[in-house]
Amino acid sequence: MNDAVDAHISRFVAAFGYPFTSTGRTVATFAFAAVTYALLILSSFPTYSMQMLTTDLGYLDEAIVALTANTYQSVGAVALGLIVVYAVLTGIALTTAIGRIRHAGGTSARGLSSVLPGLLASGCASCGAGLLGTLGFVGALSMLPFDGNLLRLAGLLLLVAYLSRLGDPRRCTIPSATGGE
Amino acid sequence: MLGGIGTLVAGGGVVYGASRLDSDSAEPTSSESNRTQFHSRSETTGLGIELGGHPIMGEMDAPVDVYYWSDYQCPFCRRFEADSFPKIVENHVRPGTVRFVFIQYPYLSESSMTAAVMDRCVWRQVRGGDAARYLDWHSAVFDAQGEKNSGWASAENLLEITANVEGVDADAVETCLDSHGTEIEAAIETDVQQASQYGIRGSPAFVLYNRESDKAGKIVGAQPYERFDSAISKVKNA
Repeated sequence: MNDAVDAHISRFVAAFGYPFTSTGRTVATFAFAAVTYALLILSSFPTYSMQMLTTDLGYLDEAIVALTANTYQSVGAVALGLIVVYAVLTGIALTTAIGRIRHAGGTSARGLSSVLPGLLASGCASCGAGLLGTLGFVGALSMLPFDGNLLRLAGLLLLVAYLSRLGDPRRCTIPSATGGE
Repeated sequence: MLGGIGTLVAGGGVVYGASRLDSDSAEPTSSESNRTQFHSRSETTGLGIELGGHPIMGEMDAPVDVYYWSDYQCPFCRRFEADSFPKIVENHVRPGTVRFVFIQYPYLSESSMTAAVMDRCVWRQVRGGDAARYLDWHSAVFDAQGEKNSGWASAENLLEITANVEGVDADAVETCLDSHGTEIEAAIETDVQQASQYGIRGSPAFVLYNRESDKAGKIVGAQPYERFDSAISKVKNA
């Protein structure tokens, strides 16, 4: 049991460190994180974002700043912090996932299949706020426990679980008793 | 212009009913404060908005209606009030292009409904006299906006804010809350349900309506003034 936990922790640390092993990976990680943050923030008020951006993409910065302020004022610093952490972790997960696909030869169906579910699951959990708004559940997020912070936390935990399973994509790991590779 | 406005003006998928004025008989009242007129009118616009009970700012014969749904606890509404709203009043309401209709859209918490009911009580109290005092109260509440559910929008605190607004009788407002609160709350619930028919799912939200041509458009969120300016011109000329 302890060995399995230790293995997960060491794989998480390895996956977490991988994006910072070269300048290119670091830049890619922050670029992914920035795009993820923008998408998450814009999805907090999708109709507003759509109206602004379909008129002029130049409104992108204004929309992000306005919705960041709105998120902070309406659901607080903790929620905004969770979104930022989620965006950074997604950047790490994407860079690590790409590394895994590249090191596996680029055509590994198994590699892809292990990458996509984690990202999709965590993405759905995190963008629930935007989806709820889009589907018409007005104020649904404010009715969720802790203003939807549990939903955001669930997305974060899924990402952490995903990274702790992935490890350093440059290394093959021995399958553990818990099913990890 | 806006995705929403373009769709509505063009009638693409969102077609509102024909113009219909149910009643023109109610007594209009107006007053002057900072040169902004307010009116009370009981009629249903061609878009199906019942004006009764809602403060109407601007000239009654202004060609464009702007229906404004807001929640006093919504920070994005406060942003609109601070940024675009004063320019709209200055450049479109006072010159007589727009009449602005305030509609409560309390959805964030119970305190939102408390503030919404008090809003209607304040309007009931001032509409027969110095109706423009409504805007003073409205602005004072947005200025006092605090964190959601922190207690700033409790009835007690809102009455305290009310007492500090010149020309608004806080005692009369409190009496209104006690004697008409339930009935007003039901009317607000109806407004909220009606808003969903226009695809409104958050605040602030606006429907711009040209009563003569029966064309309408929608703006959602605290968008920059230029977007409102452009939308008003587009709907006016539709």
